[in-house]
Amino acid sequence: MTTSTLPRKSFQLPFGRTFLLWIGLLAVLLVVGLYSAVRVLIEGLVITNLSDAVPWGLWITIDLSAIALGAGAFTLSAIVYIFGIKRLQPIIRLAVLVGFAGYTSAMLTLLMDIGRPDRFWHPWVFWNVHSVLWEVTMCITIYLTILITEFAPVIVDAKFFDRWPRVRALGHFLHKFTPFLAVLGLLISLLHQSSLGATYGVIKSRPIWFKPSMPIMFVLSAIAAGPAVTVAVAYVVEWIQGKRTVPHDVLRIITRFSGIGLLAYGYIKFWDLAAVTYYGSTPGVSLAFSLLQQQTPYSFSFWVGEVILGILVPAILFLVPRFNKNPAAAVVGALSAMVGIIVHRWNVTVGGLFVPLSYSPGTTYELPIGSYFPALIEWGVGILVIGYALTVLTLAVRFLPLFDKQEH
Amino acid sequence: MATQKKKARKKVVVELTRGDVLKVAAASVGSIIAAPLLTTGPLSPFGQLKQGQLEGEDYAGHGAKTGRHHWGMVIDLDQCIGCEYCMRACTATNDVKPAEPWNIVVPEKTSGGHTFFLSRPCLHCQNAPCVEVCPVKATFHREDGLVVMDYDRCIGCRYCQIACPYDARQFNWETRDEGDNPYVPAWGTPEVERRPRGVVEKCTFCIHRIDAGLEKGLTPGEDREATPACVNICPVGARTFGDLKDPNSRVSQLIDANPTLRLRDELGTETSVYYIPPKEGI
Repeated sequence: MTTSTLPRKSFQLPFGRTFLLWIGLLAVLLVVGLYSAVRVLIEGLVITNLSDAVPWGLWITIDLSAIALGAGAFTLSAIVYIFGIKRLQPIIRLAVLVGFAGYTSAMLTLLMDIGRPDRFWHPWVFWNVHSVLWEVTMCITIYLTILITEFAPVIVDAKFFDRWPRVRALGHFLHKFTPFLAVLGLLISLLHQSSLGATYGVIKSRPIWFKPSMPIMFVLSAIAAGPAVTVAVAYVVEWIQGKRTVPHDVLRIITRFSGIGLLAYGYIKFWDLAAVTYYGSTPGVSLAFSLLQQQTPYSFSFWVGEVILGILVPAILFLVPRFNKNPAAAVVGALSAMVGIIVHRWNVTVGGLFVPLSYSPGTTYELPIGSYFPALIEWGVGILVIGYALTVLTLAVRFLPLFDKQEH
Repeated sequence: MATQKKKARKKVVVELTRGDVLKVAAASVGSIIAAPLLTTGPLSPFGQLKQGQLEGEDYAGHGAKTGRHHWGMVIDLDQCIGCEYCMRACTATNDVKPAEPWNIVVPEKTSGGHTFFLSRPCLHCQNAPCVEVCPVKATFHREDGLVVMDYDRCIGCRYCQIACPYDARQFNWETRDEGDNPYVPAWGTPEVERRPRGVVEKCTFCIHRIDAGLEKGLTPGEDREATPACVNICPVGARTFGDLKDPNSRVSQLIDANPTLRLRDELGTETSVYYIPPKEGI
């Protein structure tokens, strides 16, 4: 009865159903996010909960976190191309992709955060070389260019560029410079990852910010957590696609590296805490911390968010051999470290602004302690950024040759 | 042999030819030449537009009080009665949002328990944290020591607001409604343009009056027309304005004759505003 098997596949989707569902979810995120963004652009920052007392909030936190979590790109590039550990090469393309997603997300958030998005180009034209923020802007721009150049061969290897051989040739030509770009990228990244901390560290009027350890904490935590995030993305992509992406021994090496990095970060953090609050404690700083502890869950978020979730849990999951072999443990550890990074950036930004300025020579006048919780619209823009980052990752994993072609 | 091969393979291979390096070198040199031409030079779309601002950069940055004058203020804390006239006149003259005044007056107590009033304009620091952190030089020093804003350049990142130790900067969170200023016209009429949404604004020591007055040959601090609104309106003469570089100006004489303090001097900000503390001490 061959006639009964009629051709039934009259219409076939190019993707699976799950993929479509995922795309649908991304679309929802993007629509909600775009709606929020358009409202902020039209009505102004007045619809956020930011104020003159706390002018930086959720968006700056997202910004700093996204850049820190994208740090896998420069760390792993440096390991492969500068320290010559070629074994880790299979993860480079993915690391650069995650870095690209992180850095562009940060730029998107910044664009929403500044009062005049139409003047975003001003730092490139009107230089103030004395400003940390100017340095950060320039570094991020240059580093994004480096990331794109490093990633160019992957993009031009996509099927789409079969029609544009010249573009493909240019991409491959640029790729020859990758080792040099890695050196440049390392320098630039070390600069801006730390100067994001210096953005706070140089503000002498704010007691809990003004310390030289600020840039070190930022760069160390980024170097430690960034690669772990890349590993987590590799595992998750593997689960979704059902095929090996990056050899597991490579991923295990990187998670161990992250674990050691987190311990180093924890060690410096311990001494920072001891120096600032105990050995080198000053009245202004003590007062600031006691205010924060009375008025906000600062202690709780520091110990649980930054130390336990951000350092101890991931360090155990990354370093104890039993967990290190387990992909699920690595993903959980990376998520935990991610939470630690976000809580740290939030505590620095918002905590520092909560502490009121005191400049009066008298005894009573002090500005009220700051208060801030992000408005719904701010979460909406946050969703836009997350939706954007996930879309970039999804499209790249789906359409770009991230894993199949080994580089020399 | 085998180990050698393995070692060789582990190295990162750089496959560059001289041609490649030359190409990139040429492209880099080209970009370096093209970049200033396109951003600030004759070919630039914004260079023409912003030429005035770019020329103005000579006196931006750390060249504070390099000019003939250095405008400063002396505030006598014993004289001040806390009437808030200065705040009102400033809000009217500069058309400031009343909820976020540039000039504040707050009650204070000495350690002896006596009340006095602290009023605070922008202190016009000579080592101004806001000027140092601005990523676009939208806030800068004039050569007469004043810290002013270029509202056409500010991108609204609010870093200056965070860096200012004196809370002297306000951000324009929204477009303001017409007629939202109850101090107009009773306390003065706006003499400067309203600032647009999305930029940070601050006290200027009424530079529009100073500059126009100097052109007419007037002396700021002596001639009312060339003096900041807050100083003119003070009913008890608690505020004195003038040239700190002129030893015969009233501000210089007051500083010579009285003990003075500057707010948070330990930060090294070197403010241009001096306070004469209450006689009994702070």
